[in-house]
Amino acid sequence: MIAGSKPVSLTPPANSTESLVKKKHLFDFKDWSLQEVHALFDTTDVMAQVLERTIKRVPALQGFTVGTLFFENSTRTRLSFERAARAQSADVLSFAAGASSLSKGESMKDTLRTIDQMQSDVYVVRHAASGVPYQLSKWTDAVIVNAGDGRRAHPTQALLDAYTFKKNFPNFDSFEGKRLAIMGDVMHSRVARSNIELWTLLGGEVSLCGPATLLPQEFEQFKNVSLSHNVYEAAEGAHAVMALRLQSERMTSGLLPSIAEYQERYQVTEQVMKHAHSDALVMHPGPMNRDVEISGELADSERSVIEKQVANGVPIRMAVLYTLLVGKR
Amino acid sequence: MRTVIKNAHLLDATKDYGTADLYIKNGLIEGSNLSGSVDETIDASGLTLCPAFIDLHAHLREPGQEVKEDLATGLAAAAAGGFGSVVSMANTKPTVDEAGIVADLVAKAAKIGQARLFPSASLSHGLKGETLTDFAALKKAGAVMITDDGIPVQDSHLMRRACEYARELDLIIQTHSEDPSLRQSGVMNEGLVSQRLGLPGNPISAEAIMIFRDCEIAAMTGARVHIAHVSSQRGMQVIEWFKAQGYGNITAEVTPHHLTLADSVFESFDSIYKVAPPLRTAADVAYLREVIAKGVVDSIGTDHAPHTQAEKDQDLLQAPFGIPNIEVTFPLLYTDLVEKGYLSLSKLIELLTVGPAKVMKWDAPTLEAGKAADLVLLDLKGEKTVNPKMFKSKAKFSPWSGQSLKGWPVKTFVAGKQVFSV
Repeated sequence: MIAGSKPVSLTPPANSTESLVKKKHLFDFKDWSLQEVHALFDTTDVMAQVLERTIKRVPALQGFTVGTLFFENSTRTRLSFERAARAQSADVLSFAAGASSLSKGESMKDTLRTIDQMQSDVYVVRHAASGVPYQLSKWTDAVIVNAGDGRRAHPTQALLDAYTFKKNFPNFDSFEGKRLAIMGDVMHSRVARSNIELWTLLGGEVSLCGPATLLPQEFEQFKNVSLSHNVYEAAEGAHAVMALRLQSERMTSGLLPSIAEYQERYQVTEQVMKHAHSDALVMHPGPMNRDVEISGELADSERSVIEKQVANGVPIRMAVLYTLLVGKR
Repeated sequence: MRTVIKNAHLLDATKDYGTADLYIKNGLIEGSNLSGSVDETIDASGLTLCPAFIDLHAHLREPGQEVKEDLATGLAAAAAGGFGSVVSMANTKPTVDEAGIVADLVAKAAKIGQARLFPSASLSHGLKGETLTDFAALKKAGAVMITDDGIPVQDSHLMRRACEYARELDLIIQTHSEDPSLRQSGVMNEGLVSQRLGLPGNPISAEAIMIFRDCEIAAMTGARVHIAHVSSQRGMQVIEWFKAQGYGNITAEVTPHHLTLADSVFESFDSIYKVAPPLRTAADVAYLREVIAKGVVDSIGTDHAPHTQAEKDQDLLQAPFGIPNIEVTFPLLYTDLVEKGYLSLSKLIELLTVGPAKVMKWDAPTLEAGKAADLVLLDLKGEKTVNPKMFKSKAKFSPWSGQSLKGWPVKTFVAGKQVFSV
């Protein structure tokens, strides 16, 4: 037998925490418990071991079909999910809006119902509008995994961010007292919303920073969330600093005066990180505008776990697919 | 033809007549507790008889959008909701911006013989907000109201000239008061809920600013201006401020949905709740409930806005604005407001009969002898579940689907003729 080809056992013991996950879908973390998230992280550890082997594949989802329904284009998230599905021997049905009948005027409901005839067990959904995963769940019996809906949620991104943070510290005990600083365009960011939801669910705190036009005051009402318009203040004592992508259309739509002024006031730099906790990590959900929201130097620095985030996306998504399809039974 | 409706509780906005028999002759109310032979006797024991309701705000979608609704289904739905008269909105395809279209609608509705139709006509050609339509010719053809409802009139100068010209003709202008540059592409009320759900918000200031502009133009021109579907406390307070200064030419409308639903319903991500102006916060709903009892609001208009199920099945950014509600308006408001003590029954009836009639300068609908026999028999006791599949409207969905309500219309009469019966 080739070393490392032996499948890792994925049958949870009877009293495993995995059985705690009661959810049918992953839309967001609105009704998720702390135990359920930790169960997902435990499964992620197992998946990460699979990916360290020479033959990076287990038969855990053999016979299952994973449909990726990407109504909005995204390469990296789709690739990550497809990798996660195939590493567990699932079949993958890949749907991308650009090349589909959507451009011929087909509704998303009809698209779903058509693909449903091909019998997917789970749909991984990306859409430009908030709430679409909820809407689709009414029209299919399959499991729905949200791969990003509008500005609303990107739960697997938040999971991989928190997982990356947790795994970075050998003796990590808890998110309690740990603060994540999110810098930039919070208003338009599903990554920010999911991270706020998950990080505070895990017991941590979140500080948000950005220009007033991109940082809605309403976020101040969220539990364990603070707001600031000063990057140094927001970074002060933070255990992780995440820069959000700034889209150039924010300038043309009157939300910001100029890139130069944004860089000057909000770019995450080495200087900013001096205010953070000495072990603080630098994160970015990608795709990154180097030297706009984050300095290139910092993105490449030792503090940066940006590439690790992408790598952890695969075991996280493996764990999500596995847990929702078989692990909870 | 002489009909008697026996043993009903007779009630209008001005008077409680107690239990009596109402006689109808040749389309008019003849009087109560008369005698003599009749052609028809309707036993209405246990039921309440009121003047039929008047809706100054319904989207009947004809011409051009018959896939959503047409005059026959829309006017039948109105009758089923207890409405005897309906003002249809002009944001159709083509727009109701020519006298010929108005005349066609009037002629067609007369043949249908359901609720009475009073078409509005658009303020600008094609709702483009650029040039005024022929108000005088439209009025002559039967248009009773001028409105670009659906699309706010962005150009303040055009609104001013429209008001001046409408005043000359004693036509009422109804406004859709939202500042387009502030509401942008908002799909729901901007606030804590929209920020949490990541949905583009439409701020209350977009409404309040435009209501102020429209009231100020009403004050300047003296035109009769009816502010449609006021949804927010701050918007309503602007109207209160103008009314307190004695501007009787300004009138205001609220809708059933703004009186009963708050923005948190969007937690379900159901596009059924997408409506313009948007559902506001629970505090706004509470405020609107408070002011309708105080008499600041002149009429309840349904803003019945049917769409196809397929249109509403789109995502929340694409789905069209509008809630179909004309068939549940009375039971909903009776159950949610009257039964729960927010509003008296006679006040609710006023907001659906005498109130809108006064806005339009129409004869006050009461149960007195000589009035048109436009009547509705209501069952205030029996409970029934909202079942959209049974709607006469083509839009067979409802935010209140499955809710148990009281106060359902049992029969509706227009000019003495029964146009609806359960």
